[in-house]
Amino acid sequence: MKVKLELYGASRDLSKKSFIEFNIEGKSSIKDLKKKIINYVDSNFKGNNNFKKIVEASAFCSEDNNIVSDNYIINKDQKIGIIPPIGGG
Amino acid sequence: MLHAKIIDLAKERIRPEDAEEFISSSKFGASIVFYGTVRENNENKKVTGITYDAHNEMVVKSFKEIYNEVDEKLKIKSKAVFIEHVKGYVGLGEVSIIIAIACPHRAEAYTLSRYIIEEIKKRSPIWKKEHYQNEESEWLKGNPIQAN
Repeated sequence: MKVKLELYGASRDLSKKSFIEFNIEGKSSIKDLKKKIINYVDSNFKGNNNFKKIVEASAFCSEDNNIVSDNYIINKDQKIGIIPPIGGG
Repeated sequence: MLHAKIIDLAKERIRPEDAEEFISSSKFGASIVFYGTVRENNENKKVTGITYDAHNEMVVKSFKEIYNEVDEKLKIKSKAVFIEHVKGYVGLGEVSIIIAIACPHRAEAYTLSRYIIEEIKKRSPIWKKEHYQNEESEWLKGNPIQAN
């Protein structure tokens, strides 16, 4: 399955595009996706610790714009948004 | 009555006159317009501007949730609320957010205005990248959003 990870805030530094695509196995959870993103940071940014911290501190949102927990199961191709710590206004 | 919108500065500008017009009504005896603007200093760094990022759908959803819970939490039933937040680059002194409130009485208008900005800070997925004089730009550290 394909996950299109949409980037926001500090996570935009993870790519020149506004998203990163990941291939994941069936019935993967957000927790599994997080591991994939950390692996991506290891491969593409020499394990940059600041980037890893951003991923660890982020929430994730589903296509229907709800924040989902680490146990949320991704069971089809879909977009997932990474939501780093917020602070607008 | 609520107006909630993200203004993408690449396409349009934020217009205080829209806020004034939205809250204008003889039903209300008190109105407050709050502007958030970009200031020149943050943590001893000379700021030159801020780039705002937002998850548009979630931000508008959060504005609606905040508005809807006011009836119950603050017992403020009669009100007009206009909220717009920008997305994109904002220079010094320019407006990043407008919260315009109208209520029958001043006490509830002040309470509501303060409540909305504080909740937006805690709950709305908006991010700031500050730009500095002679220093590299950086995303500001924020507060993590929790899953329900």
